[in-house]
Amino acid sequence: MTQHLTESDVALIAEYTRIGMTPDEVARMTVDLNAIIDSLSPITEYDLDGVEPTFHPIGTLSNVMREDVVGESFSQQTALENAPKQQDGQFLIPAILSDGGDR
Amino acid sequence: MMSVSSSFAHMGIAEIHAGLANKEFSAKELTTSVLSNIEENDKDIHSFLEVTPDLAMASAEVVDARIAKGEFEQAGILAGIPIGYKDNMNLIGTHTTCSSNMLEGYVSPYTATCVQRTIDAGAIPIGKLNMDEFAFGSSTETSAFGPTLNPWDTQRVPGGSSGGSAAAVAAGLVPVTLGSDTGGSIRQPASFCGVIGVKPTYGMVSRYGIVAFGSSLDQVGPFSRNVHDAAVCLNAISGHDPLDCTSQDIKTDFTVGLDRGVEGMRIGYVPAFLEAQGLTPEVRRKIEEVIDKLREAGAELVEIELPNAKAAISAYYVLGPCEAFSNLARFDSVRYGFCDPGHADMGGQYEASRAKGFGDEARRRIMLGSYLLSSGVYDTYYYPAQQVRTLITEDYLRAYEKVDCIIAPCAPRTAFKFGEIADPTQMYLADMFTISINIAGNGGMSVPIGLGDETGLPIGAQLICPAFKDETMLRVAAALERIYGPAEVAPAFALNSDKE
Amino acid sequence: MQTLENVLRKWEPVIGLEIHTELTTLETKMFCGCKLEFGAEPNTNTCPVCLGLPGALPVPNKAAIESIVLAGLATNCEIEKDTMFYRKNYMYPDMAKNFQTTQGPLAFCMRGHLDLEIDGKGADERYGIDDVKVGESFENITRCEGGYVAHVGITRIHMEEDAGKMVHIGGSEGRIAGATHSLVDYNRAGTPLMELVTEPDLRTPEEARRFMQKLRQIYLTLGISNCSMEEGSMRCDGNISLRRRGTHELGTKTELKNLNSFKSLHDGLMYEILRQADVLDEGGVIYQETRHWDPSAKRTIVMRVKETADDYRLFPEPDLAPYHLSDEFIERVRAKLPELPDEMAARIKDAYGLSAYDASHLVEHRATASLFDAAASLIPDDASASQRALVAKQLANFIINDVTAWLNAEPDVDLASSPLTPERLFELSMLLVDETISSKQAKEVFTAIIDEDKDPREIVAERGMEQVSDAGAIEAVIDSILAENPDKVDQYRGGKTGLIGFFVGQCMKAMQGQGNPKLINEMLEKKLSE
Repeated sequence: MTQHLTESDVALIAEYTRIGMTPDEVARMTVDLNAIIDSLSPITEYDLDGVEPTFHPIGTLSNVMREDVVGESFSQQTALENAPKQQDGQFLIPAILSDGGDR
Repeated sequence: MMSVSSSFAHMGIAEIHAGLANKEFSAKELTTSVLSNIEENDKDIHSFLEVTPDLAMASAEVVDARIAKGEFEQAGILAGIPIGYKDNMNLIGTHTTCSSNMLEGYVSPYTATCVQRTIDAGAIPIGKLNMDEFAFGSSTETSAFGPTLNPWDTQRVPGGSSGGSAAAVAAGLVPVTLGSDTGGSIRQPASFCGVIGVKPTYGMVSRYGIVAFGSSLDQVGPFSRNVHDAAVCLNAISGHDPLDCTSQDIKTDFTVGLDRGVEGMRIGYVPAFLEAQGLTPEVRRKIEEVIDKLREAGAELVEIELPNAKAAISAYYVLGPCEAFSNLARFDSVRYGFCDPGHADMGGQYEASRAKGFGDEARRRIMLGSYLLSSGVYDTYYYPAQQVRTLITEDYLRAYEKVDCIIAPCAPRTAFKFGEIADPTQMYLADMFTISINIAGNGGMSVPIGLGDETGLPIGAQLICPAFKDETMLRVAAALERIYGPAEVAPAFALNSDKE
Repeated sequence: MQTLENVLRKWEPVIGLEIHTELTTLETKMFCGCKLEFGAEPNTNTCPVCLGLPGALPVPNKAAIESIVLAGLATNCEIEKDTMFYRKNYMYPDMAKNFQTTQGPLAFCMRGHLDLEIDGKGADERYGIDDVKVGESFENITRCEGGYVAHVGITRIHMEEDAGKMVHIGGSEGRIAGATHSLVDYNRAGTPLMELVTEPDLRTPEEARRFMQKLRQIYLTLGISNCSMEEGSMRCDGNISLRRRGTHELGTKTELKNLNSFKSLHDGLMYEILRQADVLDEGGVIYQETRHWDPSAKRTIVMRVKETADDYRLFPEPDLAPYHLSDEFIERVRAKLPELPDEMAARIKDAYGLSAYDASHLVEHRATASLFDAAASLIPDDASASQRALVAKQLANFIINDVTAWLNAEPDVDLASSPLTPERLFELSMLLVDETISSKQAKEVFTAIIDEDKDPREIVAERGMEQVSDAGAIEAVIDSILAENPDKVDQYRGGKTGLIGFFVGQCMKAMQGQGNPKLINEMLEKKLSE
C-alpha cells in the first residue's frame, strides 16, 4: 500500500477541517485514508486526454435563474430557533482566534 | 375475523383508497392503527427515529373531512396514505437529525419540497426514519442513535443508508416511505429488505430541503411494496421546483403503461457484471433466472458493455467525499447543531464540536474530500473523476442505442450481519453495481425477485433506464412483479405470524 | 521616512486593486429571495438559504447577473459566455455555509480597462511625467495638457456573495483583538457582490484613487449600487509592491485593507510605498502580509502574515447549473447601458462649448449630471453658439459650486425630487445672464428656491430684486452720491482710485442693492475721470 498521507499530513487536514483529533485518532485515520486513497487508483490510470469533465450531470440545462422578487424571510425568533447560543437577536460565539482576523 | 389494524400492514395505495372511498374505514382509524402498530412493532427493528402522531392525526382529519364532503377524488393522489421520511428530509416542526449527534435536537424551520408535495397530495406524515449518519454507509450501522434491524432477520443489517425507510416498508409499518440515494442508498436497502426502491433520474425530484451529501449524486425516491405505489409516489414528488436549479421540468404519469409488459422491449445485461468478483452465486443465479424470465415474457435480451463502470466506485469515492466535505462544513456550532460548551475561543469550539458531533465515517469522508480537493491533488483525482464521469455517461448512452432498459444485480449479496464488514473499503463494495448510475445521473431501481437459495434472504434485481425514461424501468418492474408477485411483508411482521 | 521624490528615483511602485461592490439597488439577495436592506433588525432578512441551513439550495438572481454584465460592458470587458459558479471553502463564522459561492478561473467579465485622466497636483506623483511631451505616450500613459491619461487593465469582474456581519464584544472599541465574544447577524449574508480585480497597472496612489472614483461614477450611472464606502457597499483592497526602477520582476507585495475612503486609499498606499522603500533601502525584506491602514495613526499595521498560499479547495458548485449566456441575453443587457460619464462629458463639452474641466466635473455625480442635462436642454434652439455657451457656463458654475456645496452639506437630499428643478435652475441662470439680478442676488435666490420651493422670478419679484440697469436711473443716483461727497471725489481724482469701491457701495446702498454693479462701476469710472 502506498503511503499517500503521513500522520502530520492528516493532522493538518484535521486542523483545516476543524475536527479536533487525538494523536491516536490521527494515526487510525491515516491508515484508513491511505487505504481509501489506494482504492482510488483506477481514476489515475486512465488516459483522459481530450475528455471533457461532467461537473453537472444535468444534460443541457443552463442559465437557471430566478426573478428579483422578494420572498418570505424568517422572523428573528425562527432564525435563532436552533442557535446554541444567542444574544440581542444575534448568534453568540466565543472570541475569534487571532489568526481568523483576516477580513 | 381479521382486525382492521393488522390488515393495514399489507395494504397498498389502491386498497387503502378503495377502503377510504367505500368508507370501510376512516383516515383517522387507519392512522391510529398505523401509529399503534409502530408503537408495538418498531421496537424490534428501530426504523423510526421520530413518530409524529399530532401531524398525522391532523392530516387524517383533513382527509376525512374531504371524504365527508364527497371530495375524495380531489383529496390528492396520496390522500390518506401513511408515509415516512428519511431523517435527512426537512419537515417543519419535526426533528431532522441525519442520525447524527451533530443534529440531535435540531428542529426544522422549513419543509423539503418533496415532503411538501406528498403532504399536498394528501399523504399522512407518520415520522422520520433512521439512516446511516449523513447517509454515509450501506448498513445503517453508522446511525448515532443505534442501527435499524432487518425485518427479515434482526441479526442482519437492513442495508443503507436509507435502512429505516426500507425496513419500515418491509415490516408493514407504512405502505410507502421516501429515501435518498447517492450511490445506492435506496436500491441496496430495498434489495436487502425485499421491497421496491426507486432512484429516479437526477433532476426528476427536487433536492430542496434534503440535507445534502453529494450534491451532484443525491436523488430522492420512494420505497413501496408494489410498483404501482412507487409510480403514484413518483407522480406526487417529481417535477420542476424553482428552489432547485438542477430539477427539470418533466411531466410524466408514471402509472401509465405499467401493464404493457415487456414484449418487444430490448433489455440489456452486462455479462461482466455477472462475473464480478464479490457477486455471490445465489444472487448471480437469481439474476440469470430473471434474464430468462424476461426473455420468456417476450423481451429481447441483449448483451451490452459498460467498460468504464469498473471505475465508478473510485470516481464515486472521489466525488462523493469532495462534495460532502464542503456540504458538511456548515455544521460549525454557530447557527445550529451540536455545540461543545465552555470554550473561550471559536477555534476550540469548532474543533470540539465537530469532533464530538461527527461519527467516524463522517470524519473520514470530510477529511478525504478536503485532501482530494487540496491544491495539487485536485488534478490527480477530482478533475479526472469528473472526466471518468463523462466516459461512464457515454457508456450508458451507447448502451441505450441498443436497449430500452438494463437489468443488473442490485447488491452483490444478501443482507450481512451486524459488524460483519468492518473495513470501510470493503463496505464501499456494497454499492459496486449501483454507483455508476448516480455517476451518470440516470434512473435505477431495485425490484424484489424472491429469496436467495442459500441464505433465504431477499434479493433485488436492479433495473436501469435512460435519463428521464424512468417509466421504462417501472414498466419492466411491473412485468417482474407479475412473475414474482409484489413485495411481501417480512414474515415476522406479517399477518398470522408467530411473532411473540 | 524619505520623500516620495527620492523613493521614486530608485523604486517603481506597482499597485493593483481589488474592489468589492454590493449590488444594493436590487430587491433581493444573490441566491435567495430575502430582502436587501441596510440597517434592518438583526437576522430578520434570513431564510434557509442565506442561513446555510441543512438542505437549502441556492437559486441565482437574474437581475444580479444582468447587473454584472452591465458593469462589464461599461468597463470595456469581454463578456465570458460560458462560466460556472464555484465553491470557495473556508470556515469563518460570518459565512453561513462555510463556503463562499463565487466564480472560478472564468468570470462573467474578463479583460476590460479604464482610461484615467490624471491632472493637477496628482499628476506629479507619476515619475518622469515632466519629461514627456504633450501627445506623446510612454508605458501605459499618454501625456496631455495639464496631466496625462493612464490606461489601466481590468483582469476580471466576478459575481459572488457577501458574508454576514460580526460585532466583537468584551474588548475595547469593538475590536476583534481582545474581544471575548462576537455576535453574528446574517442579514448581509448572501448580498450580491461583484469583485473587480485590476491588472497591476497602477503606479501612483493618485491613479488608484482616480480609478476608484471613476469606477464608482460608472457604477452609480449604471444604477447597480449605491457605492457607499461609508456603509461598506463599495470596498477596496490594495496590493502593492516596489521594484527597482528599470527592472521587470515584481517584488513581494503586501495587501492593504481598510481603505474605506478615497483619502484612505490614497494615503494608505502612499504610506506603504514609503514604508516599503525604507525597509528595502535598509536591506530588509518585505513579507507577504495583510496590513491594516489606520487613518488616525496614519500608518499600516500587520494583520496577518501569509506563510503559504491559502488553499480554498475551489471546485465547481454542483447545485448551480452552468451559464451559457446567449448573444441575445448580452444584447438585451447592452441595450440598457445608459450614457456613461466619459461619453456624457464629451457630448456636453461639444454641445455647449464647455471646458474639459467643467465637463468632467459635471458628470462626476449622476444626479448633477442629469440636472445639467435637463436644464441645458431648455436653452432655446435658436440661441447662438455664444449664447448657448454663456448660459451653459452659468449652469455649470451653479452646479459645480452651489449645488455641490449644498449636496455636500446635506447628503440625504434627493436632487431629482428637490425644489431645485431644471426649469428653475435654467431660469435662475437666465436672470443672471441677462443681468436682471446680480451674482450676489443669484446666491440669495438659489438658497430661497431650496428653502421656499418657489420659482426664481417669483422670489425676485417678492423681494424686489430686479436689478436696475437703466443708465438714466443709475446716472441720477451717481450724481447725487458724488454731490454728497465732494472731498472723496477730490481724493479720487488726486490718485486714490481705491475709493471706487466706496462710491459703488454708496450707490448700491442708495438703490437698495438693485443697481447693476457692473454698469455702476463703468459709469462711475467715466464720471470720475471727467
